[in-house]
Amino acid sequence: MRLADRQTIAAGLLGAVAVSSGVALTATSGWLIVRASEKPVILTLLTAIVAVRAFGMARPVFRYWERLRSHDAALADLARERTSLYAALIPLTPARLVRRGRAAMLTGVVDDLTDRVEARVRVTVPAVATTLTAVFATVLCWLVEPAAGLTVAALTVVVALTTWVAWRVETRGHDDLGAARAEVGRVSELVTSQALELQAIGAQEAATGWLDDAHARLDRAVRRQVTGRALAAAVLPAATAVATVVCAVVAAGSDRSAPVLGLLVLAPFALAEVFAPLPDVARALARAQAADRDLKTLLDAQPAVRATTRGRVLEHGSVPHLRLSGVTASWDGTRRAAGPVDLDVAPGSVVAVTGPSGVGKSTVLAVLARQLDPESGSYTIDGTDALDLPLNQVRGLFAIVDDEPHVFATTLRENLRFARPSATDDDLRAALASAGLGGLDADLDTRLGTGGRGLSGGERARLSIARALLSGRPVLLLDEPVAHLDHATAVAVLDDLMAHRGGRSVVVVSHRPEGLHGAHGIIDLRDHAPMAAAG
Amino acid sequence: MRPFDPRLLRSIPEARRPLVLLAVVGTVQGVATIATAFALAHLAVAVVRGQSLGEPAAYLLGLFVIRGILAFLGERVAARGGVAVSTALRRRLVSRWLSLPAEDRPEPGVAVTLATQGTTSVEPYAARFLPALVTAAVVPALALVALVAVDWVSALVVALTLPLLPVFAALIGAATRDETQRRWSSLAGLSGHFLDVMRGLPTLVGYGRAERQVDTIAEVSGRHRRATMATLRLAFLSSAALELLATICVAIVAVFVGLRLAYGSMELLPGLVAILLAPEAYWPVRRVGAEFHSAADGTAALESALDELEAATAAPARAPATSGTVVLTRLSYTYPGSSRPVLDGVDLEAGPGLTVVTGESGVGKSTLLELVAGLRTPDAGTIEAPEAHLVTQRPFLMTGTVRANLTLGQGRPVCEDEQWAALRAVALDSLVESLPHDLDETLGDDGRGLSAGQRARLVLARALLSDAPLVLLDEPTAHLDDESVTVAHRAIRDLAATRTVIAVTHRPELVALADHHVHLRAHASTRHTEEVPA
Repeated sequence: MRLADRQTIAAGLLGAVAVSSGVALTATSGWLIVRASEKPVILTLLTAIVAVRAFGMARPVFRYWERLRSHDAALADLARERTSLYAALIPLTPARLVRRGRAAMLTGVVDDLTDRVEARVRVTVPAVATTLTAVFATVLCWLVEPAAGLTVAALTVVVALTTWVAWRVETRGHDDLGAARAEVGRVSELVTSQALELQAIGAQEAATGWLDDAHARLDRAVRRQVTGRALAAAVLPAATAVATVVCAVVAAGSDRSAPVLGLLVLAPFALAEVFAPLPDVARALARAQAADRDLKTLLDAQPAVRATTRGRVLEHGSVPHLRLSGVTASWDGTRRAAGPVDLDVAPGSVVAVTGPSGVGKSTVLAVLARQLDPESGSYTIDGTDALDLPLNQVRGLFAIVDDEPHVFATTLRENLRFARPSATDDDLRAALASAGLGGLDADLDTRLGTGGRGLSGGERARLSIARALLSGRPVLLLDEPVAHLDHATAVAVLDDLMAHRGGRSVVVVSHRPEGLHGAHGIIDLRDHAPMAAAG
Repeated sequence: MRPFDPRLLRSIPEARRPLVLLAVVGTVQGVATIATAFALAHLAVAVVRGQSLGEPAAYLLGLFVIRGILAFLGERVAARGGVAVSTALRRRLVSRWLSLPAEDRPEPGVAVTLATQGTTSVEPYAARFLPALVTAAVVPALALVALVAVDWVSALVVALTLPLLPVFAALIGAATRDETQRRWSSLAGLSGHFLDVMRGLPTLVGYGRAERQVDTIAEVSGRHRRATMATLRLAFLSSAALELLATICVAIVAVFVGLRLAYGSMELLPGLVAILLAPEAYWPVRRVGAEFHSAADGTAALESALDELEAATAAPARAPATSGTVVLTRLSYTYPGSSRPVLDGVDLEAGPGLTVVTGESGVGKSTLLELVAGLRTPDAGTIEAPEAHLVTQRPFLMTGTVRANLTLGQGRPVCEDEQWAALRAVALDSLVESLPHDLDETLGDDGRGLSAGQRARLVLARALLSDAPLVLLDEPTAHLDDESVTVAHRAIRDLAATRTVIAVTHRPELVALADHHVHLRAHASTRHTEEVPA
């Protein structure tokens, strides 16, 4: 993880000036008061008065400057890192992302990236500023009285050690806390979205019980996590007190003038204010490092397909004949996820793939869509080995409808058009009508998604189907398309799809019975062999 | 947006203890901070005057030890208090929603957001903002009182200048409100863009459109950076202005103290105390400003959650029946947001035994069952029904063991023999026995791992175990294989021997088994039932 660059260090230096000004302000004020109490000629105080005024002004001004610089640098970094992360994820999508809950996982990736980039503002800048100020204070005190310098140095070391301990505790508890938070989120979402089903069987008490368990786990994790920070917060005043008393003893034995001695006594107190944000710095560092680890793990994966750009060009527009024979596949290269599978998708047919979870239904779809290379067996498209055909062309044959259709935060038009950029508004309306969205009380300019019109689960599934139909791709792959819909909606959505599929082939994977409605053939992967079934 | 909503204390009693603790720790910390200023000044004076250091040093050490303990407690109380308040709020919300009929609950999307991110954002509000608020209310006042005792001139200066800070903050806020508002809304759109295209990445890759997004991301991120910086410049500038104002105020105190010291009309000790205390009066106010910003989400979420908790609901039109008989009189129901009633003036009577309800799809059969089960409140008419167990078309199956799924919602301990008996009744006993951990085998989410027929039979077994006198079944055997249908129908028949069973079905086989048959029919504007001799 890159924590420092020129911009961040520069911001850190500006921060050091701001923080040092704060310390100097307290110290010179102390000097000034003590000096004034000696009733000197007012004129002799002028230099100190000017200094106090300068430090007082410098602190907010430099802090303002530092914040502008550091935030601008971080935002520039964020822009760069977002672009490169996105580009790096494309070849890994979707095979190297999790199978279910992709949207939540990708949200986590966005947060991780933000945490990692923010580390430069939240960790590097305060660390540079604090360290320089502590060194500066140590040197000044040393020049006045070496023993006082040593005391301030010792205070700094103690604080640094405590911060290190706090960082360790934060790091150790980070994963636990993250898991506990995720569990609370999962349970609350489950219970809230399934409220009616839970009431139907009288399981309200059980449901609040699950929430209580998740909350208890969160409380334990927070308690463990906060200990480091609390310890650091507790050590700081104690260390400051000791340092102040030692400085006072040193000053009492010194032969310097009274105002300078006042300055020595106040120095540790002034520094304490500087050290106060360090527990938060430790926390931000632990978070950034965890985020960095997660991102590296994700990006270290290899693409799941070997891309070919050459090969025979497929005939455009015709519905291909797909055939898998003895195909096996694996997501991680060690554990077989599917097969050997034989599957024959004649042009225009509807084939359902069933079987209990874990038998490899989605894996078969991934092989068909060229998201995942088969390990053995053959996959032919119109008799040609699919692996010898240009990857983009093969992928262009398939339109995929899954159980997590994404609605982009843009107009209805743009939500459809990326599936076929050349489509006219009439094409879009025709696709919407075929997918059963003709009656949607929204025109093509209506904004959808975050901040726009919300869509129900059924409408989202239909939008995804409208995209697939609009794309004109000859094969539809349906991966649990109605998994989150109620029964009546599920049946209606699939009936509409089957009625408007035209000559397209359809391969559908579903663990729910509605999904298999109307299939010409059902392949039960438990049997590893095709069997005839009535439609 | 109110900084503190007293409804929090009223509606969430669990929040009282952590909030009181936070307030107590904050106040004691304030007292300790002010005492420290005195001790520090005494120590400095002792050093300067060459007096004995013992007493002030001991005081200072003692005070800092107390402050250390308070800091430790403060961090813990804040972190745990934040979690306590947000989890109590979430629990209240969820258990309230679980007790309400469907139409009184917010939309599922809204409810999920409020129960997850919404209540979580209350955590920093309670853990950071509220303590800051307490400190801002307590510490400046304490500092002022202490100053009056030490040096009334400084106290006067602080008393006169302290109100400038909130006034100044309000002025800056008013002057920049429109600008900030405008920027925030465009900022929300820009910062949401990356999340949006990330979540849509699989979709974009699916249609081969992902590569084109890379340039768009660079372009939008650039705009986001400029827009954010414009907003931040304003925010940082106003916080710098406030800091400068506070510094000037402290400087005024210092000037008065310095002049009086120089003219000999003041002692060193009160002078030192005054300049150490003066900043303590100003910084808590600035901190509230800083934390207010980060707590904005939490304040908004808290408000909607409290609205939700205190919303009035209609009284249920449901009379508990003592016998097993269900009587519906002129029952009407309209879905929220719809103008046409789905049920209009339905009468129905169902006694012990099996009653089947048939009717075209969309005629309101499922709604009828949900009304009888008390999950919805009718617009008109009355329902007399005993406690019911409803098996919906998508019955709830959780990630958990077979046992956990069987005993879910049974308000009593169910012994293993009973579980096996229920499984036997639906012919699932041999399947479960064949599983490696039989009853303790874990099923996936939504019953993944079982076939559709097995899932349907498992939820029927759960209905058998329930001690509700009324069992409602919504299409219990639609889309099942023939074997499962036969087994399930037999189990339903057995169930009807001891209880009232109402089943919605399209299956003629099940209709043939029924004691009563009701055909629900849409008829012009009214819908009515029709008894068909079974």
